[in-house]
Amino acid sequence: MFDAPFSSYQRSRGRARVALGATGALTGLFQQGSAKAMLPRTHGPLPEVVFLNTSGGLTGGDRFQFSLDVAAGAGAMAATQTAERAYASPDGVAEVSVSLSAGEGATLFWLPQETILFDRSGLDRRTEVTLGEGARYLGLETVVLGREAMGERVETLDFQDVRVVRDAAGRVIHAEQIALGSGTLAGRDRAAGLAGASVLASLVYIAPDAGDRIGPVRAALGDAPGCAASAWDGRLTIRAMGRDSWDLRRALIPAIRLLTNDHLPRVWQT
Amino acid sequence: MTTHMITIMGITTTITPMTDAGLLTLTHWLSPVFPVGGYAYSAGLETAIADALVADEEALADWLDHSLAAGAGLTDAVLLTSAMEADADAATLNDWARALSPSAERWQETWEQGQAFTRALADMGSDPGVPVALPVAVGRAARDLGLRPEQVAALYLQAMVANLATGAVRHIPLGQTAGQRIIAGLAPRILDTAAHAVTLTPETCFTASFGAELAAMRHETQETRIFRT
Repeated sequence: MFDAPFSSYQRSRGRARVALGATGALTGLFQQGSAKAMLPRTHGPLPEVVFLNTSGGLTGGDRFQFSLDVAAGAGAMAATQTAERAYASPDGVAEVSVSLSAGEGATLFWLPQETILFDRSGLDRRTEVTLGEGARYLGLETVVLGREAMGERVETLDFQDVRVVRDAAGRVIHAEQIALGSGTLAGRDRAAGLAGASVLASLVYIAPDAGDRIGPVRAALGDAPGCAASAWDGRLTIRAMGRDSWDLRRALIPAIRLLTNDHLPRVWQT
Repeated sequence: MTTHMITIMGITTTITPMTDAGLLTLTHWLSPVFPVGGYAYSAGLETAIADALVADEEALADWLDHSLAAGAGLTDAVLLTSAMEADADAATLNDWARALSPSAERWQETWEQGQAFTRALADMGSDPGVPVALPVAVGRAARDLGLRPEQVAALYLQAMVANLATGAVRHIPLGQTAGQRIIAGLAPRILDTAAHAVTLTPETCFTASFGAELAAMRHETQETRIFRT
């Protein structure tokens, strides 16, 4: 028993699940291990759900599951309490699964704080979203390669991130599947790839009014460098890449406020 | 010819005597004379050139190499080889093609060319099925040509980079020879990408094409445009 690898004692497990009913009231709450879900009181029309990994970060072998179900006609703003940090780990990858659903005509804004990937970290994450007819979904993911301000340069990495949105019938309507490995980092200045960026943000807005929002969204982004937006077939996407996560967030906030009717998660320190 | 190919490429009994005829058909479909109109699309390269991100032969070759290995080239090759499987459902793969498109113009170029490809086959008297995105349409049509999926994917990718390189050398501008050097030089990457694609499905196809995808999005608001995408 004493011969067991030390890291096995450190592996974290966590599951947190929240369900909100048609009136926005809590209808289900499950928490296990190092995953927590909090529902801070808000005075706005949208309930907020905040997920938290209490183990303080992710290392190889960790398993986390977060899930949020919003009933037909209801709405919610969900976020994570802090930035998620993936730390160097010699043995394997951490696995994080996020499962979100919004019923018919429901609103779900998923605005987690950034994911920070440190050198020699491994993370395999899946975010799967199911949307009912006429639902409104906003999802934002920000990935930060190390902390350049702390002088860290990420050289070795094993990161896979799947973000898939399906309709109620299971038909895929949006998919973003990115992989960042050591090979990509070795060519980090290649123009078609990272182009020198260490912060990558991707936003998707899927809603009946997505096409109508593109003009105002472009105006809100202004001429911020490294940002662009597009809209088609009920989808609106924004991409941003740069070197400073604070600059990127500041560039995106006006567009996010526009799409959420001026809501931002309270845990965002803005 | 057929015997020679078996010796060199280790092809086994899956190859039918149709191979040579199939190869002729496929190269016809993928040639610039087939009315798909690929020359009208730049996949964001026009913006990369306007922004001086791609200004010389080396940068153009690198941009195309990256698109093959970790961008639209890989995604297309996976959709194509998936569409060649006997039980493939073209409508589901078309959903994936749309879902994986990161921006309006990326979907526009693959959808418009897929429609044109399907229409051309129908005009020639075959029954190509409902219009779908270009790689799905080509893969579906190539199912009966007696060719291996990685062969079809490699020829498709070569046609793709040849089209992009030809447009780009005129636009930068670079000499014609530079374009030919780039196309020939990308052969190993084309073969690697095609071999990689047959091991993947749309669900397991990962990319890292951030700069190219941002350029394709920025193209939508570019003031002076010659290409549609």
